[in-house]
Amino acid sequence: MNLVIIDYGSGNLRSVENAFRNSVKINKLNFTIQVTNELELISKADHLVLPGVGSFPDCKKGLEDVKGLVKLLTNEVINKRKKFLGICVGMQLMVDFSLEKQRTEGFFWLDGYFKKIVQKGVDYLGRDYKIPHMGWNNLQFEYKHPILENITENEQFYFVHSFALESKNTNQIIAYTNYNQKIPAIIGKDNYIGVQFHPEKSSNSGQKFIYNWLKWCP
Amino acid sequence: MLSTRVIACLDVHNGRTVKGINFINLKDAGDPVEQAKQYSTIGADEICFLDISATYEKRRAMFNVISKTAETCFVPLTVGGGVNDLSDFRDLLNSGADKVSINSSAVYNPKLIKQSSDKFGNQCVVLAIDAIENISMPSGYEVTTHGGRKKTNIDALKWAKQGVRNGAGEILLTSMKSDGTKKGYNLKLTNLISKNVPIPVIASGGAGSPKDMVEVVLKAGASAVLAASIFHYGIHTIKSVKNEMSKNGIFVRDCEN
Repeated sequence: MNLVIIDYGSGNLRSVENAFRNSVKINKLNFTIQVTNELELISKADHLVLPGVGSFPDCKKGLEDVKGLVKLLTNEVINKRKKFLGICVGMQLMVDFSLEKQRTEGFFWLDGYFKKIVQKGVDYLGRDYKIPHMGWNNLQFEYKHPILENITENEQFYFVHSFALESKNTNQIIAYTNYNQKIPAIIGKDNYIGVQFHPEKSSNSGQKFIYNWLKWCP
Repeated sequence: MLSTRVIACLDVHNGRTVKGINFINLKDAGDPVEQAKQYSTIGADEICFLDISATYEKRRAMFNVISKTAETCFVPLTVGGGVNDLSDFRDLLNSGADKVSINSSAVYNPKLIKQSSDKFGNQCVVLAIDAIENISMPSGYEVTTHGGRKKTNIDALKWAKQGVRNGAGEILLTSMKSDGTKKGYNLKLTNLISKNVPIPVIASGGAGSPKDMVEVVLKAGASAVLAASIFHYGIHTIKSVKNEMSKNGIFVRDCEN
């Protein structure tokens, strides 16, 4: 199998690459991993990973600067049904738009938009809810999914974000996290999954998630 | 529920981990790559490398150490020290750092916080504030640079708020008076900054026992606790700290996951 991590000048590419390489090695999977923005390699890949840190508009611009990439991605994922994982802003890009800085369109693969998290009140220790939502948090599963195999709701994943998905279409939400409010943590449909947290930075639980995604056959 | 983070900090000098009382009389405590891996295995929620002499000696952080660490260490990695401009930022992130902390350079070039958060996102910009008591400052605390060697005449609270406006995603707050003393964090300073900024504040400087960690969270509202020497010499482990926190009602991540 051939996995491509899409390089568009954004994201913590090295961390994502390291974490996937580790999973492939530890689990003795037959995968080659390439980090590239070359359209030909992307269209030849079996699976695609889109990382993303930074702001939504910057990430979108980074993608658009690679001519033909956004259109190719939609074709590969929606029409050719290639397995896809979007991480953090890579996940946010999968929906209609985000309101970060200004309104910027996403890929329209899933319904909804990203809106700044507004927090009121204090937590169980009397501390204000800080933004970004930064640190390790649990998931609440909405339904059973192969990518959650061997993962429990007691396990934690590393989040760092200030925007959260607003969507009426709850069918596309696989898991939530809770930070004074329910925040979609894993979204997806058919062959494509997006995660708000960083599996590449989520220690053993993150490695389990990556392994599940790698062996998932949608 | 969001866990309160326990961060292991490695003060690095010439590729080796060191920690001294008030940043003087450095003792060698090992290889940072091995230590970081060890820490992430035993349950540290984040690793922080601070190249403590980098600014002073005008050296750059050690990209090699970061890159090797990032290959085996799957928890967030913050790196600071000797970060002067956007290209330093980019080099550190490309080596495998997830966040970059800036201190002296932000004081001398206040635009750097805005430039770096615009360019790389506020999630990776950690404003490190080394504060010291000064009653002539409005908040009672002054920002220092160069490992506490230089005073700046900048009020620590005002500086923290300005950092937030410019896009810092987190504040790493060190009390220079407490640092290395093992007598506990500076609760007053931590509470002051934490109550007045909307972003997470990491308490640093002075941790001597798991009880100190509990105290700075419960009494001063810290979002995360950072310590170096108490972990290095095996006096206390990440697990014993988390057990104590958990016993006191603070939600922490299980060390096994």
